[in-house]
Amino acid sequence: MRFANEPPPIHRTGNPDAIRVQDMGVRYDLRFNRKTKIRTSIGQMLGRGAAHQFWALKDVSMRLVQGESLAVIGPNGAGKSTLLQVLAGIIRPSAGFIEVRGHVSGLLTLGAGFDVDLTGRDNILLGGAFLGLDDAVTRRLLPSIVEYAELGEFIDAPLKTYSSGMRARLGFAIATSVDPDILLLDEVLATGDAAFREKSKARVIEIVKAAKGVVLVTHDMNWVTEYCNRAILLERGRVILEGEPADVVALHQEHMAEAHAAQTQMAEKAGIDPRIVLRR
Amino acid sequence: MSASIEAPATFRHAAGEQGPIGLVREGITDLWSRRRLVRYLVQADMRKRGADTILGNLWWVIDPLLQMLVYVLFVTILSRGKGVDDYPLYIFACILPWKWFSAAVGDAAVSVVSQQQLIKQIAFPKIVLPVSSATAGVVGFLFGLIPLAGIMLFYPNRISPFLLLIPLIAFVQYVYTLGFALMVSAGNVFFRDLGNVLQHMLRLWWFVSPGLYSLSTLDDVGIFKSHEWLRILVSLNPFAVLFEAYRKVIYGSADNGGSLPGWPDFTSLGLLFLGSLVFLAVTIIMFKRLEPNFAKVL
Repeated sequence: MRFANEPPPIHRTGNPDAIRVQDMGVRYDLRFNRKTKIRTSIGQMLGRGAAHQFWALKDVSMRLVQGESLAVIGPNGAGKSTLLQVLAGIIRPSAGFIEVRGHVSGLLTLGAGFDVDLTGRDNILLGGAFLGLDDAVTRRLLPSIVEYAELGEFIDAPLKTYSSGMRARLGFAIATSVDPDILLLDEVLATGDAAFREKSKARVIEIVKAAKGVVLVTHDMNWVTEYCNRAILLERGRVILEGEPADVVALHQEHMAEAHAAQTQMAEKAGIDPRIVLRR
Repeated sequence: MSASIEAPATFRHAAGEQGPIGLVREGITDLWSRRRLVRYLVQADMRKRGADTILGNLWWVIDPLLQMLVYVLFVTILSRGKGVDDYPLYIFACILPWKWFSAAVGDAAVSVVSQQQLIKQIAFPKIVLPVSSATAGVVGFLFGLIPLAGIMLFYPNRISPFLLLIPLIAFVQYVYTLGFALMVSAGNVFFRDLGNVLQHMLRLWWFVSPGLYSLSTLDDVGIFKSHEWLRILVSLNPFAVLFEAYRKVIYGSADNGGSLPGWPDFTSLGLLFLGSLVFLAVTIIMFKRLEPNFAKVL
């Protein structure tokens, strides 16, 4: 077992790091959220100006070596998704720095950014433009996306006429049309109907194999031990352990069991049926 | 693969902020490298407006005409028929650019917020969103020139080569609109009720701007005699300058017995252009400063 402050393992002779993260932190300002109104803010300004800050990630250092597949695991709210957002360049760190070599891409949640008033074809072109794909590339990929999503002549119909299955397939087909150097995966495998899930899983494995590096956030521990060469355990925004997948998974499960036991105990002390508490 | 991707392949993000000039440069580079995305967004906007309505894109033509009709009836009754000559053309010259501005600003206000799902999932320069809204408004304005041409046919004596100056005035308006669009789109992320406030502000703005009347009308009313500072305030309104310029080249003037179209006031137009450029630079800096927080707040 190796702890985070020790150099990560892996034979990195001459191989430049695909991702380097140094003492990185992400701070959220809790004063602003999606529900903030001018009225409430003036109220806050007049009231006490307490520091409403929260570090979603703190002092995170890690690296991804070329060719490596790294799993990020941890309980809910540990900052896993925030870490992926930083690696994708969506969120800038509030402290430290990150360096990414090569084109990063995540698999979008199916159908993010779809415009239901536009046709499937327009959505593909627009999606490609948002992803930063060259126009020629998008147009070349178009037939294969249509085929993969099994859309047929629906491609020129507005998206609002699509079934939810068709939308999910189209979303997945667009998302996986990118061919990134570094792939970021955030629990994308749990969508769609059973038949499509099989098909999509096969496609994801294909992309994972083709990518020069993968960072994966998942709760599926089998996937971690099966497909990843290294794992990181995040808890409350900090890296607890970095090392062999099996070791990291073991510690994670140990911590989860402890948390479970503590919750049960607390519930019992409070006289509540622990099953009610734990179901949340 | 990296050669076929418009987004930069390698990046380094560190804590801390860039200087203002760097931010402006970055904003312009963002827009230039993603100009195709802007084009697609504008096209998508056009297509959506056309679909789903009985008259489709004809609304671009009908809408300003209806609005003109309402004001003509309203003002003619209020002035007991002793109004301005050729009043329909007089106000249409201002309704058209105002519709562009108010629609662009209204769309821009929600442009970033409505793409929240995408913003949280892929890194792309968010500046393309308000810029697309402002640019889509230009297309609407161009459509509006069709009914303008129709109205002009009723007043053949007012048709003049000065009409060719419309694009010049529109360009000044475009620069100003861009800045305003950037400001409200970023502001709306942090204060979700900004859009509502904006709707009321725009309505008020239209009536305090010399669209239905001219600046000299205010002199006649005598409002400046008792409040001299109001004159300064009114002349600081960008739409006072723009409306007077549009009207001058399309209609002419209704003052002192009226006159046919002529040269607009290039001094105030030039000053407005310079001011708008500064305003745009400031709003780009503001937008780029706030942009890294969008994904966190949305």
